[in-house]
Amino acid sequence: MSLFFGQLRGELRKLFARKRTYIGYGVFLVVEVIILVVFHLEKSQKAMRELMGQNGLAFENYYSSLTVTYMVMGFSMFLLGSIYFALVAGDIVAKESEDGNLRLVLSRPVSRLRVLLLKYAAILIYTTTFVLFVGGTGYLMSVGAVGGGGGLFIWNYKMKVFAFYPEWGDGALRLLLAAVLIGVSMCTLSTLGFMFSCFKIKPASASILTLSVLFVDFVLQEFPFFKPYEEYFITFRMSNWVYALENHLSWAKLAESYAFLGGLNVTLFVVGWMAFQMRDFKT
Amino acid sequence: MPARSEEVMLEVRGLRKSFGGKPALQGVSFSVREGEIFGLLGHNGAGKSTALGVILGMVEPDGGEALIGGVSVRRKRKVALRKAGAIFESPAFYEYLSGWENLRILVGYSGKFEEGKAREVVESVGLTARIGSKVGAYSHGMRQRLALAQALLPEPKVLLLDEPTDGLDPEGIKWFRDFILRLRAERGMTVLFNSHLLPEVELMCDRVAIIRQGRMVYDGDLGGIADERLLLRVGAEPREKARELLRGMGGEEIEGGRVQFPAGTDPARVARFLVEAGLELRELTPVKRSLEDLYLAMTKEGGAE
Repeated sequence: MSLFFGQLRGELRKLFARKRTYIGYGVFLVVEVIILVVFHLEKSQKAMRELMGQNGLAFENYYSSLTVTYMVMGFSMFLLGSIYFALVAGDIVAKESEDGNLRLVLSRPVSRLRVLLLKYAAILIYTTTFVLFVGGTGYLMSVGAVGGGGGLFIWNYKMKVFAFYPEWGDGALRLLLAAVLIGVSMCTLSTLGFMFSCFKIKPASASILTLSVLFVDFVLQEFPFFKPYEEYFITFRMSNWVYALENHLSWAKLAESYAFLGGLNVTLFVVGWMAFQMRDFKT
Repeated sequence: MPARSEEVMLEVRGLRKSFGGKPALQGVSFSVREGEIFGLLGHNGAGKSTALGVILGMVEPDGGEALIGGVSVRRKRKVALRKAGAIFESPAFYEYLSGWENLRILVGYSGKFEEGKAREVVESVGLTARIGSKVGAYSHGMRQRLALAQALLPEPKVLLLDEPTDGLDPEGIKWFRDFILRLRAERGMTVLFNSHLLPEVELMCDRVAIIRQGRMVYDGDLGGIADERLLLRVGAEPREKARELLRGMGGEEIEGGRVQFPAGTDPARVARFLVEAGLELRELTPVKRSLEDLYLAMTKEGGAE
């Protein structure tokens, strides 16, 4: 087991030694700042003030660092997260295959399954820590913008979630749980990119295929004919993290959603592994 | 120098492989004894790299198998590859990491990375001063030294070299050759040297196999290349008459004015025969049969199967 962790450390070193990785972090920080500025504009606040007022909630208490963090995380992940994780995951096997690094790796006494498990573990760690980074920096920036304290207000029309937490402590705990679940949801996106990356394919093609699948999945579930089957759509299940913010927390509902995503991840991994196992590696 | 044993360290048996219906290997078999340096020759696309890919378990053969130290690569790849180290023509390292980090990561796939041992190997390949630099800044020669270092860690018994000296300058080629010969002399290393640089193969290898279009067309000692047949460079006038007379003596003209005679032919008899026939003899020089002669004869279209 210690050998596995030693090898995993090497895999993470490769991932985090690339400049591109840090460009991603930088880009997210910039996007967070932009979202914060937009939310600070009077017209943006007006809509929220009305929504809270209609529900008898005090804007001064609920327009807080927690509420702004929730919005920053949701928007930045929706806007950029999918693209960014598809790029990184699409690269992780295909790029090494294209560059020829894998020939050196596979000339050593290590099974292909182990090589894939290491890369997959690295990409999962990367995905979840990245989401937590976005959440953490989003919160710190929000504190800087609107100050600490206050409650948490949630309104998600698509997922039909309306919730509020007057106390900072309750809201912060739920937001933390939601952030962890966003990370887990994003792992499905990364797994999809990883699977395509295992095929004999260009890294960019793996990323494009990943984004295409998600885009089609997202659009199709909006069609009225498919509405009754929305729980079978990947992007719908990936959005289920928002259930962690409901006032009445349903663990069963969350468990069902994440069991679905977990099963999907295992299936995608096995498909990728089979494709990788059958490949010939030659100049 | 350790005595070479008869133990077979590397063996391939009846390898067959096709890519998209096009045969790349058609029943290739050879074996390499412990402490032997074995050259695998062939044109580009002849099937050398495919054979190496099968030996390393990177290419799944349609038939046949490869064994390292008696262990089947197909059945027990991990166990078999513990005895082997490999170098490729253009080893692709992680450019953005240092040489040391590359070593740590690659060797880590084989087991525990032992720093002391790694430092010794880095020292032996002459890379100590630059091991901390990023590989992106390495010259081709330095990359090959790093490739050699990673192949020698932890401690292989067989080295598989896929055109390792291609692109190296003459000094680099000599260093590489001397290093491999020293490894064999000091550690009894078994080496499979896959190349089309014939002078290098001639200087390093004990035995060679030649592959043409996926088939083995020669497998034998380098000593055997200097066969019993007599090879003479003949210059005589008139040329056409000389040709006719030489053919009458069993001579077979090959390129460059060289004529090959059956074993046991006496050069003095050839000279006397031509002079007595009234020809003006200008040159009659015995020629050493080279690996290149053999290679060209074996690999040309319609050459020996």
